Amino acid sequence: MNDEQTFEIHIIENGPTHIKGKFSFKDSAGNLSAEHNELFFCRCGRSKNKPFCDGSHKNQWQTPE
Amino acid sequence: MASYDSDYSGSNDRQYTNGEITVFWKPNKCIHATTCYKELIEVFNPRKRPWVNMNGASTEEIIRVVNLCPTEALTFKYNKNLSEQPVRQILPETENEVRVMRDGPLVIKGNFKVYGPDGTEYKRMKMVSICRCGASLQMPFCDGTHRKIGFTGK
Repeated sequence: MNDEQTFEIHIIENGPTHIKGKFSFKDSAGNLSAEHNELFFCRCGRSKNKPFCDGSHKNQWQTPE
Repeated sequence: MASYDSDYSGSNDRQYTNGEITVFWKPNKCIHATTCYKELIEVFNPRKRPWVNMNGASTEEIIRVVNLCPTEALTFKYNKNLSEQPVRQILPETENEVRVMRDGPLVIKGNFKVYGPDGTEYKRMKMVSICRCGASLQMPFCDGTHRKIGFTGK
């Protein structure tokens, strides 16, 4: 599989959603930016820089059981 | 995984027809990706009862949106083939896209793989909603809890 095709979502334990590969990104206002290679998205709801992870989950959040 | 028990599954299933096709709705499979009503509010309107209005758009348009449902919450059959398995057409290859829904989940489309914290791969999907509010009981997937807790996030 060549790199052009890679598009992977990795769920990090008690941490963010790590997306890597080649993808476009549309924010909640509908602004589209193309050709991303890697982004970390907040999964705990606490980031001050949503939708991106800012490390706020650390020692503050665990995945609900 | 406590939110939906198997006894509950099925009891609220509904079906809607326009004479040509029948759309099947399985609420316990819904992950609240909001795709159906954002694409076609004339047919899929959660604020109305019944929430599906089969006269709101053409059969082709309804099929298009049913096929965008990331789970099997929405499926359809042609009425002339009602004895067969519900139809889900294979989605055309879509561009890889990550989209943030305001006050809601991350919606990912395209040809992707999802891996859990332990490295195991989840079932292949063409579209998925990942929780952003931190409170889903179906982690890592959205289960609509963001609305209950009043999550806000751009």
